Amino acid sequence: MNIVLRAKVVVCLLAGFVATGALHCVAQSGAQGASPPAAQAPAREVWQREFDRICSRTQEAMSFSEEELASLVQRCDALAPQIEKLDETRRKVYLGRLHMCRGLYAYVLESKRNQKK
Amino acid sequence: MNRKRFVILALVLLFSIPSLAQTGTKKKRPLPYEYGRVVLNNNATKYEMAPVVFEHWIHRSKFTCRVCHVDVGFGMKAGATGIRAADIERGYYCGACHNGRTLQDGKPIFAACTNKKLTWDDQKRCDRCHSQGKRVPSDFDFITFTAPLPKERYGNGVDWEKSEEMGLIKPQKTLAGFTPKNPLVVQKDFDLNAKVEGMPDIIFSHKKHTVWNGCELCHPEIFMGVKKGNSHYSMVDISEGKSCGACHVTVAFPLTDCQRCHAKPVQP
Repeated sequence: MNIVLRAKVVVCLLAGFVATGALHCVAQSGAQGASPPAAQAPAREVWQREFDRICSRTQEAMSFSEEELASLVQRCDALAPQIEKLDETRRKVYLGRLHMCRGLYAYVLESKRNQKK
Repeated sequence: MNRKRFVILALVLLFSIPSLAQTGTKKKRPLPYEYGRVVLNNNATKYEMAPVVFEHWIHRSKFTCRVCHVDVGFGMKAGATGIRAADIERGYYCGACHNGRTLQDGKPIFAACTNKKLTWDDQKRCDRCHSQGKRVPSDFDFITFTAPLPKERYGNGVDWEKSEEMGLIKPQKTLAGFTPKNPLVVQKDFDLNAKVEGMPDIIFSHKKHTVWNGCELCHPEIFMGVKKGNSHYSMVDISEGKSCGACHVTVAFPLTDCQRCHAKPVQP
């Protein structure tokens, strides 16, 4: 009886070892296959989602109507005060980028208006 | 006797003035591996660190101009961005890639410095960028890296455009977390009149410039005019860093390579 009990304990311990090892392997392989943290898309804040929506369209600027361009410029102006409230680093980065987007939309808008004259 | 000495001295001084003036204005042409190099010293020496030596050639082979100068937000002039170690530590500017996690060619890119107390290993890592006046080993050797790339006469001595066309370099066009998703609308190329008789007109590759730079990097900060022919550019202005000179006297192929832009055959 004692021998049977011992055997059971040994089997349980071995099974535990195997299971722990397997779990460790799975965890490691998962980590290797995962994208690096910097590449993962973090949860975007509201202002950032608006920023992405506005500034992701710069490449199409020439195809927008005057109304669309004017609206994009307005949205840039509305977003700027929200970015002003952020910490120094993000304020510097995103205000600079917003300035570039706004500049492009305003510039294309002005050129379209001038062409009409 | 004294009068003779005085005359000789006066003549020596008179002839040495123009040569002194010349040495004051002559600019050394950078060597191929130095072309595009930027030394950044916003705060480094204040904190007893060596200034950062930024090598444009390796970064431009891995990323388009747009990724760094639009999406990450680096300015177009050295020191204009006012980068601080704290910005980098938060994952912005250099820290967007140099964080020890972002992969390039399957390898993590080494992490930038931190404000924490530095160990010996940290110090060695800091030296990789804060390297002015130091001999620091790099992952990329200029001669070895550029050996298989098509050659050019000026700048880095490399035809980067052709290198990309041949698939020898593959500059990344986006950076996760920084590039808003946008479809690229490719612009058409156009000619610009050289306005000098006998000088070939310029073939401006709007397509190449759009793919590498995006729109907002050039318009309106660098190029104000939208309608072709409305803006006038002079070589003097360009050589002073205006319009094309914003890149083509610093990083992109230099002005000495006339035929790269003045490329349209002259009509007899």
